[in-house]
Amino acid sequence: MNETRKQPLLDSTFWSVTVLLTVISGLLMWGVVIFPIEDWLPEASSVAAHIDFLFRFMAFFGVPILVYVSGYIIYFAWRYHIRKGDSRLAVGSPIHDHPGLEAAWTIVPSIIMLILGVLSYIVMPKYYLASASSVATIEGIGHTFYFEFRYPGLAQSVDNDLHLPVNKEVTIYLTSDEVDIRNAVIHSFWVPEFRVKQDMIPGMIVPIHITPVKEGTFRIICTEFCGVGHSDMVGRVVVQSQADFDTWFKTEQHMQTQGATKGVTISITGGNATAGGQLFAAKCTTCHSTGAFDERKVGPGLGNLFHDTNHPKLVTGKPANPDDVADIIEHGFSGDLGTMPNMQVNQLTDKDIANLIAYLESLHK
Amino acid sequence: MTISELQREASHAHIHPPPQGFVSRYVISFDHKVIAVQYFITSGLFFVLAGLLAELIRVQLLQSHNTLLSAQTFANAYSVHGSAMVWLVIIPVLTGGFGNLAMPLMIGARDVAFPWLNMFSFWLFPPAGILVFLSFLYGAPQAGWTEYPPVSLHTPGTAFWCAGIFLIGVSSTITGINFMVTIIKMRAPGMTWTRMPLFVWATLVTAFLSAIATANLSAALAGLFIQLVFHVPFYDPAHGGSPVLWQHVFWFYSHPAVYIMILPVFGIVSEVLPTFVRRPIFGYRAIAYSSVAIALVSFMVWAHHMFTSGLAQWVQLPFMILTMAVGIPTGIKIFSWVATLWDGRIRFTTPLLFALGFLPMFTFGGITGVMLASVPADIHEHATYFVIAHLHYVLFGGSVFGLFAGLYYWWPKMTGRLLDERLGKLHFWLMFISFNAAFLPMHWLGLLGMQRRVAFYDNQFEGTKLLHLVTDTNVWASFWAFVLGASMLVFAYNAVRSATHGKIAGPNPWGARTLEWMTSSPPPYYNFAEIPLVLHGPYDYGKPLPYANISQDLATEPIA
Repeated sequence: MNETRKQPLLDSTFWSVTVLLTVISGLLMWGVVIFPIEDWLPEASSVAAHIDFLFRFMAFFGVPILVYVSGYIIYFAWRYHIRKGDSRLAVGSPIHDHPGLEAAWTIVPSIIMLILGVLSYIVMPKYYLASASSVATIEGIGHTFYFEFRYPGLAQSVDNDLHLPVNKEVTIYLTSDEVDIRNAVIHSFWVPEFRVKQDMIPGMIVPIHITPVKEGTFRIICTEFCGVGHSDMVGRVVVQSQADFDTWFKTEQHMQTQGATKGVTISITGGNATAGGQLFAAKCTTCHSTGAFDERKVGPGLGNLFHDTNHPKLVTGKPANPDDVADIIEHGFSGDLGTMPNMQVNQLTDKDIANLIAYLESLHK
Repeated sequence: MTISELQREASHAHIHPPPQGFVSRYVISFDHKVIAVQYFITSGLFFVLAGLLAELIRVQLLQSHNTLLSAQTFANAYSVHGSAMVWLVIIPVLTGGFGNLAMPLMIGARDVAFPWLNMFSFWLFPPAGILVFLSFLYGAPQAGWTEYPPVSLHTPGTAFWCAGIFLIGVSSTITGINFMVTIIKMRAPGMTWTRMPLFVWATLVTAFLSAIATANLSAALAGLFIQLVFHVPFYDPAHGGSPVLWQHVFWFYSHPAVYIMILPVFGIVSEVLPTFVRRPIFGYRAIAYSSVAIALVSFMVWAHHMFTSGLAQWVQLPFMILTMAVGIPTGIKIFSWVATLWDGRIRFTTPLLFALGFLPMFTFGGITGVMLASVPADIHEHATYFVIAHLHYVLFGGSVFGLFAGLYYWWPKMTGRLLDERLGKLHFWLMFISFNAAFLPMHWLGLLGMQRRVAFYDNQFEGTKLLHLVTDTNVWASFWAFVLGASMLVFAYNAVRSATHGKIAGPNPWGARTLEWMTSSPPPYYNFAEIPLVLHGPYDYGKPLPYANISQDLATEPIA
């Protein structure tokens, strides 16, 4: 039973396998170094390349750990498994430990972790710390379920559409729209191409500093579950040259003053209730049911909107008549029951609103 | 201590008669072995339910904008899936199940220190699970297993969830205290700290974590419940509270809970490996003490879940460094297990396969864990499918594979019969291949922009070249998730079949040396007629059994 084997602790096969695993690791590590991250996800902010470097660094050292662990498991399992005819009572080497080896696999990972910690620490301030070079301050506000951005110099905010000049540092103050706990939710502002993410928390205002370095249109994704419309909460960020940005800014300013002086109103006559019903199912059911007022999802149930004696007035305090409902759909509304985006955010045309009113009128319970 | 002194100490023990009657034997039982089986059956039922919810999630994600489930129902499904898997499956199975089944036997005790508390602790568990699933009737929780307020305050079912998780938390705390006292006070004479089997070490450290950390979860849950029902504004920023407060208190429990879910598995792997490699575990002390190190550091890393919650940079820094530090003791364990395989006489049994499968998958999960620890990298990866993939590599590739290693290993001790090896190996390979195929690509999905907890993923990829790739990848992941689900049927069939067709195990079918194998299978009510006297550590294969009063005949040739 107590057989002892006279042979070196590590034989030549072991070293051959080690060489093989080293070659595999080397190839994979080379792959990590040359992998074109940029082709998959542009590095569109000044910090993105640094973060990708950190990611590569970790993958670079993670690969050999995984290869050696898996490789030695497979090799030892093959090399030392009992064959036909071997006794099941055979026992392996009685060695309990090896201080040198154990010291090595404690110290080497510690050194890698230390280097990683220092590298991470160097990258950390690049988008957190305030910097004197910020050219603009923008407010970013998370609503259910869209992003609102307020620019200095624009009377009205722009929704789901963040325009930034390239190569200029901007500071964005992020928060969530509501502090009333019955409606408040946490959102998160993530632009994958910027490698930047920050939660938008009710009652907290957190500044982030971004310097876009690539022109293009990227996604803004909400990454904190915020309710039924969470999946749909996607905006866009447009990074453009300073000239293009200025043009956009002026056009936006101009449109807003135009809109304000003209006082646009929408004709709600001749709406098609069937078309309105289809539109309602596609656009409105995220937040509204067609049940009674109290059957709330986010906003009130709209099934009895025009004939509800318990709720004769709209959330705006006006009587429930078609014109005032159209006013809410057109401009949006924010109050105790939540926030409803305006027609631009909901991508509605004038005709759509007429159809929706016709449909809502047909819903008399 | 001389042998005669040990014998004098042991002679104080006496045997109680087993209870008569069905109820006192199998329902309100004080016997740790019966309670273990109760945990296995109850958790098994919840595993099926939570698993079906997982399959439902994968069905929904077969299309980028699937209308099968509403966004609301989808959110309920993944919230209850996550909560149930964590609190109703992994934690109770690893502590209540394996802890109860193996730990008292392994230390040569007749039962745990407080059998009545053990019974009470179990009977908090079924009502807890029922409350969590009952929440579906009242608007189930929707904010994931983490239930961040304020959004979690918007569904009334969260109150049921709070009550259920609170109960399971109390159960977990009681079990922790019970196991701590049992291990500290009731080890067989001669079993010094360094002669304890490594599963007992792991259970001891887990018991400390359960007893200390779970109270924080209870506090957080009580706050959420009171706010929901009585409107006391703990998490309400308009009235002096803060939603971030929940995140701190919740993660102050839930990060140690990650180790509650993995340390017992480390223990299982440390038992299974030497048994089938037939040589001493490499670096016994390093494995034992690194568990203690992991447990201590686990209380100081919670905010690494909150790097996007607006913490100041000087707060983030220590959490990042300490999180990276956890990788070092974990690495020591992994390397020690690999070294245990060296120059063994390895028998490929199902428990060993599961333990070997655990190693690379857990290593992979550990590496992605370090990637999530680095603050700047985490900022990009946080709350995406990268995190989903990471946590499933740790909790499924790690915990669940280790859990099955333990189940195949101790099944003969529990039932007296062996599971079929061929079906077991089929189960392993189906699970291993389908798990990796399903979850590996999710890392890339997350990095490319798929956030977690979305019922639809067409919006963020619309108009990009990625939409087709992302959809195809999700279909692929769903397919393999269905295979993964089906692999459990193989195990279920094997388990049922073993009741009539399983080979009779005898006391020590694997030829192991720890104390649970030094008595019949299943063990008698009193476990050991005579309390064993321990002379050495348990892993010296080839030497005589290290117990003074146990027949050397038990070191028989393994039958499997």
